[in-house]
Amino acid sequence: MRIFRNLRQALRGVASNKANTFLMTLGIIVGIGSLTVIVAIGEGTKAKVLDRISNLGFGPDSFSVHAGAGRLFFARSGATTSLSLQDVDDIRALPTVRLVIPRQRKSTRIIFKKEFTNTRVYGVTPEWQIARDWNIADGVFFNDQHMERKRRVIVLGATPAKKLFIGTDPIGKMVRVGDVFFQVIGLLEEKGLTESGYDPDDRTLIPLTTSISRLTHQTYLHSAKVMALSPALVKKTMEDVSLILRENHNLSPLADDDFRYVTPEGIMQWVTESAQALNRMLLLISTVSLLVGGIVIMNILLVSIRERVREIGIRRCFGARRSDITQQFLFESVFVALLGGILGTAIGLTISIIFQRFDLLPTKITWEPFALAFAFSTFIGLVFGIQPARKAAMLSPEESLR
Amino acid sequence: MSLIELRSISKTYKSAGLDVEVLKDVSLRIEEGEYVSIIGPSGAGKSTLMTIMGCLGLPTQGIYFLDGEEVGQVSDRELSRIRNEKIGFVFQAFHLLPGVKAIDNVMMPLLYSDKVPKDAKQRAETVLEKVGLGHRMGHTPGQLSGGEQQRVTIARSLINNPKILLADEPTGNLDSKNGVEIMKTFDQLNREGTTIILITHDQEVALHAQRILTIKDGQIESDQWNENFQKSQASPSGSGVE
Ligand SMILES: Nc1ncnc2c1ncn2[C@@H]1O[C@H](COP(=O)(O)OP(=O)(O)OP(=O)(O)O)[C@@H](O)[C@H]1O
Ligand SMILES: [Mg+2]
Repeated sequence: MRIFRNLRQALRGVASNKANTFLMTLGIIVGIGSLTVIVAIGEGTKAKVLDRISNLGFGPDSFSVHAGAGRLFFARSGATTSLSLQDVDDIRALPTVRLVIPRQRKSTRIIFKKEFTNTRVYGVTPEWQIARDWNIADGVFFNDQHMERKRRVIVLGATPAKKLFIGTDPIGKMVRVGDVFFQVIGLLEEKGLTESGYDPDDRTLIPLTTSISRLTHQTYLHSAKVMALSPALVKKTMEDVSLILRENHNLSPLADDDFRYVTPEGIMQWVTESAQALNRMLLLISTVSLLVGGIVIMNILLVSIRERVREIGIRRCFGARRSDITQQFLFESVFVALLGGILGTAIGLTISIIFQRFDLLPTKITWEPFALAFAFSTFIGLVFGIQPARKAAMLSPEESLR
Repeated sequence: MSLIELRSISKTYKSAGLDVEVLKDVSLRIEEGEYVSIIGPSGAGKSTLMTIMGCLGLPTQGIYFLDGEEVGQVSDRELSRIRNEKIGFVFQAFHLLPGVKAIDNVMMPLLYSDKVPKDAKQRAETVLEKVGLGHRMGHTPGQLSGGEQQRVTIARSLINNPKILLADEPTGNLDSKNGVEIMKTFDQLNREGTTIILITHDQEVALHAQRILTIKDGQIESDQWNENFQKSQASPSGSGVE
């Protein structure tokens, strides 16, 4: 079959023009490789955020209110002294509210003998355990008595427990947080790393009262988690909370809120928006990288076209039809595109997996970039490889041999 | 009907906006089985004439009949078939595929036949041996000397057993020994019925032919029969006609 003969000629051409093949393949590899990595990072980041949400411990009946204006986890101003214990008491008094858990929070270093670790210390009320539905692996959670007496007791998450106590039982031991010693009374059950690498076990808990008097030395709260009596009451409760807080904080009707809500819906919406922004950026970067690859291919094809026109002329002198030339160059382009695509994909995947393995960046592999890159490189090959070849084939052999 | 018939052929090249008339009103008939050599000064238009006879380009004016068909009226596909089946070219500038082994260069025309003969490779080896290159089949043009490349182009022109052999300076780069060998091959082919048209600057080579055309300034200056031509000339055991 003529078409198979042309295919063989194409493969031979690819093999004998090693330098050109190499450079063109390289162009495609760069394009597809970077696209693969970039998209994998984008998808990985998105997956990580989604993963975080599901580990925040929000049921459908709960939301949290955070001190300071802004959105979600991002306070607009540094002054986050807007949420008070009084606010929490007033919210708790609402008829639609089941539980309110006020929280203080500090990232700090915990020390046991010569071991130390940096972790998050939360000052919370005993209801925290009920609200989060988090079991105790060993020891106990602190109770109302610990709260009342501002006892220096601490419950450790699995990660700090492992880092501080190597081969010893933590229960009953004294750990130092800042200048203050705390007695370990309980260990949280281990949840394990999430798929995206977030560590929910990297936390410790102390009574809120102790936190106020010993750790943060102030009564302002970081946030409060509110559980409504039922999911249907969440919206109404949030409206009431807004009214209470605005009144307590003496905000004029025109002033902005000095607090913000974190809800699963809010996070989802934010993730969607940031994913869109990320996608736009990725699209830009990958377009640039593909264009670079495309320009490389184009240049090589343009440089080699003189030589190729001569080759076309020679073949035509000895009986090649126009369609033979077109087929040969079509096969060549497709082959180079495939070769570059496969190698680029392999390299991109390798880099993505390395990022993942060594915890450099979250990555997730999807098929879209490959499809896009293949389509694009094939398109470039068609336009810049076959079009000039077809043009040369339209000449008489004498003209192409000049 | 003649195998080749040119009627008032003119060819004009445009270069740098200037029209250069390379062939001027050339008329010529060549019969099947003839052995023709074309001589003339450099730049006279010999290669251009061969280009037209080989259907590699169309004349600017005039009509060309090849084997009963008017070349200007034939489809490109049909022209490709004619070039493939009826004509063998030896180019002055070789025109070998760069980076491709000698044997594959020689086999290339067979790729474009309707059916590739089963013994394609063996045929290529045979013609390469015939031109004395049996030991260089795996070399690419870049690895061959000028004379060796020339012999590869001759082998390539013979691979498809063409009816017409158009050879532009086929011995230009060869030493006398190889030149003589090649001419013996041509003489033999002509005796077997191949029409040979040979461009040369070498008087001795020209005298192998039966008919000598002299081209000057794009026109046929003379068209002479070679008195000394004998079909049996190069082979004492030949049929000895005349
Ligand atoms: N493509 C072209 N464009 C412009 N002029 C051309 C072209 N091809 C050939 N010529 C001119 O036509 C003339 C005849 O060229 P041709 O190659 O036919 O000469 P020739 O008789 O084969 O010469 P030589 O013996 O040196 O090979 C030359 O003057 C050449 O410059
Ligand atoms: Mg010439």
